[in-house]
Amino acid sequence: MANQNGQIYGLTILSPIIQGDSKDLAHASAIRWYLARQPRDRRSPLARVTGTHQARLVVMDDVVYVGAPACEEHLQSRYLVFETNFDGDLDAYLMRMAAEAHEFVHSVWQHCVAYPGVDDPHAFAAYMKKCQVNTTFYFADVNNKTVKQNLQALQLQSALARFIERHQGEEPAVIQKAFGEFLETMRRAPAPEPGGDDAHRTPQENRPHD
Amino acid sequence: MTNINGKAYAMNAITPMKWWKTPLLRIFFFVLGLVKPLQADLKNLSFIHFARWVIVPRNGFPHLSEKQPAENLRYDYLLFFSNFNGTWNQYIDAFSAVLSIGLNLIWWWSEKYPGAVPVTPFKEYIGRVQFDTDYYYNSYPRAATNDIKAALRVQDAVDEFAKTSQSLTLGDFEKAYVEFLVKVQPDLGSTGMAPVGT
Repeated sequence: MANQNGQIYGLTILSPIIQGDSKDLAHASAIRWYLARQPRDRRSPLARVTGTHQARLVVMDDVVYVGAPACEEHLQSRYLVFETNFDGDLDAYLMRMAAEAHEFVHSVWQHCVAYPGVDDPHAFAAYMKKCQVNTTFYFADVNNKTVKQNLQALQLQSALARFIERHQGEEPAVIQKAFGEFLETMRRAPAPEPGGDDAHRTPQENRPHD
Repeated sequence: MTNINGKAYAMNAITPMKWWKTPLLRIFFFVLGLVKPLQADLKNLSFIHFARWVIVPRNGFPHLSEKQPAENLRYDYLLFFSNFNGTWNQYIDAFSAVLSIGLNLIWWWSEKYPGAVPVTPFKEYIGRVQFDTDYYYNSYPRAATNDIKAALRVQDAVDEFAKTSQSLTLGDFEKAYVEFLVKVQPDLGSTGMAPVGT
């Protein structure tokens, strides 16, 4: 199935946004204003939805006119695009969205047509599936590891580099003992939080466009 | 608008296609999905975490209520979403230089597509059909996809060495530790900020 690559699922949602008349921007603007205020690091609502590798939300205002001789045409609704790459099963993920990012989901999707609310996770999952468009071709560079496995590997990689540097030139007996302790420390280390920390980012990471 | 989160850039693009061309593109994607060696260049570029192409037929936009006005479109649309490392210019340059044939097979069916080479009109076209991201979340913002693959190789090497490291004699440990270092050396390092680029 094209929505899946290995154990990664690529979900694409197009939720029509409510509009009172053709000039009504209120709901699309409300979504944008809300999203602009949300943290994007470990405090992100999507960091709480277990198994989310990368995800985006986009208000699609219209289709694009590429110039003559193509025809100019316009959408009758704006659409909220939700593109997410996550571990495992679609139904379980949608249920987790409803449970783990309840407030975020409601704040965003309340502006969308036929949104049933999030109190009933089954109804929410059914609604999202009505908004799903199937992926035609899906590429995932690493498709056999969970978010947790990736983060733990990154943590280990960094810690091992420090270990090797610290013990360079020491006697084999010292290194062997220290390596055993290192393995035990890593085994007990809490899993790193997904999403990183915005406090440790540089301004260029927030640059609008290049 | 927030296309960037750490080392990843979220790109969105939409292009119109005449409806009768869509089946041809579907066949190409079907073959691309089936014959893995055809994905080698995409894989070897090694700066794309995830990418997808989604064909939305002209009558395929979700219609959920009588109150929602029905779409009346002539074109089918090809949506493209990518999560890549590096800057927009680097990405488009690399696409044009390495994947031009593949890209042409994908977008040739879209209206006014100029081809992936030369790169200047290609960039102009992408700029025209791209739309910005409003919210972008990345669970490992300080890691490029190459960082993740390197870290996973380190993980495998550590797991393997851990099986025997504590039971070896000192002489054997010394030799095995050096072999272990040689094995993991290319993949060591810490993740961090993306370099400034244009």
